[in-house]
Amino acid sequence: MLKVLDSAVPVACWSCSVAHNDATLFCPHCSKIQPPPGGDYFSVFGLEPRLNLDLAALEQEFHRLSRRLHPDRFARAGENEKQWSLADTALLNDAYRTLKDPIHRTEYLLKLHGAEIGDEHSGKDRRDPSRVPADLLEEVFELNMQLEEMRMARSAGETDTELQASLEQAKRKFDGLLEDVDKDLRNEWQAWDEGDDVARKAAQNKMVALLDRRRYLSNLVRDVTETLGA
Amino acid sequence: MAYSDKVVDHYNNPRNVGTLDKSSQEVGTGLVGAPECGDVMRLQIRVNPETQVIEEAKFKTFGCGSAIASSSLATEWIKGRTVEDALAIKNTDIVKELSLPPVKIHCSVLAEDAIRAAIGDWKKKNGVAETETAPAEAKA
Ligand code: FES
Ligand SMILES: [Zn+2]
Repeated sequence: MLKVLDSAVPVACWSCSVAHNDATLFCPHCSKIQPPPGGDYFSVFGLEPRLNLDLAALEQEFHRLSRRLHPDRFARAGENEKQWSLADTALLNDAYRTLKDPIHRTEYLLKLHGAEIGDEHSGKDRRDPSRVPADLLEEVFELNMQLEEMRMARSAGETDTELQASLEQAKRKFDGLLEDVDKDLRNEWQAWDEGDDVARKAAQNKMVALLDRRRYLSNLVRDVTETLGA
Repeated sequence: MAYSDKVVDHYNNPRNVGTLDKSSQEVGTGLVGAPECGDVMRLQIRVNPETQVIEEAKFKTFGCGSAIASSSLATEWIKGRTVEDALAIKNTDIVKELSLPPVKIHCSVLAEDAIRAAIGDWKKKNGVAETETAPAEAKA
C-alpha cells in the first residue's frame, strides 16, 4: 500500500541518535545504514516528487546508493545492518524501476496523490463517460473483429494477406496514437511540476484520462503484435 | 479467482452471439468499452415498431469471461421485454445472478451500459423521446 505524501517524519538514528527525516537510507550524521525508510520512492533519491526528472542524475544516484548498499560492505556488520542492506537494496531497486519509466513514474505519483488508476477504480468513477475513449470504440471493435478473423484463418492453416496488411496498417495507426498520448502526457508533466494546487488538480485529471486511453491503446497494440507474430 | 458456474456456462455457451443489420430502422446498436481493462462490447436489439417489444438481441464481446457472461445474460433478459422494461435491468441484477465478485462489477456495468446505449440508439433512430431513466434513486 502506498503511503500518503507526508514523509518528513523525523526519526532518531539507531547508531548516533541524531534525528534525521525518515526518508534516507543512510544517516546524514554518522553515515550508518538505516532501516528501510517509510517515505515515497522520490525521497529515496532525495528528490521532490516531480514528473520531469533528470534521468541521468537518477541513474547516477541509483548506482551510487547501490554501491553503498552492496552486501560485501556489510560482511562484518551486525545482523541488523546486514538485514537492512538487503531490505534497502530491494526498496532502492523498486524505486529506481518505478521512477525511471515515464509511465510508471506518472502512475506512481498520481497514486501518491490519491488518484485511482486502472483497475483500482473498480466502481466509483465508472459512470464518468469522459473516461471511456469513445472516439476509439468503433475502431477498437473493428480491430478486434479482424484479429478474431485472423486467428481463425490461422488455425485453419490459411493466410489472408489482405487481412494481414490491414492489421499491419492498424498497428501503425495505433502506435501513432500511442505516441500522441505520450506527448500529451509529457505536456501535463510540466503543468503538474510547476503548477499551483488548482493547476495540479487539473493536470492530474487529464493524466488519469490519458493513462486510461494509453492502457486501451497499448493492449490493442499488444494483441495485434501477438496475432501478427503468431 | 474462480468463476461461478453460471459465468462458466454463459462463457462456454454464450447465447445470442452475432450481428444484426446496423442500418435497419428497427435495430438499435450499443457499443461500449470499459476503460479499466480495455474490453469492448456491442449489443444490438431489433424492436417491433408496433409493440416496442425487443424481439431479437445479439451481442459480440471482446473481453473477460464475466463480460461475456454479463452480455449473454443481458440479451437473454431483454428479449421479449419492451424497451422501457429492458431499461429497468440494473447491473446489480446481473451481479447477483452471476455471483460476480467486486473486481468484476465493472463487467456487469458494461452490459447495463450496452443495453442503454442500444435502446438509446434505437430511440434516436425512431424519434422516440429519451425517457429520464435515472436508476434506483428515482423510485426511492
Ligand atoms: S475485466 Fe473488463 S469487462 Fe471484465
Ligand atoms: Zn547516525
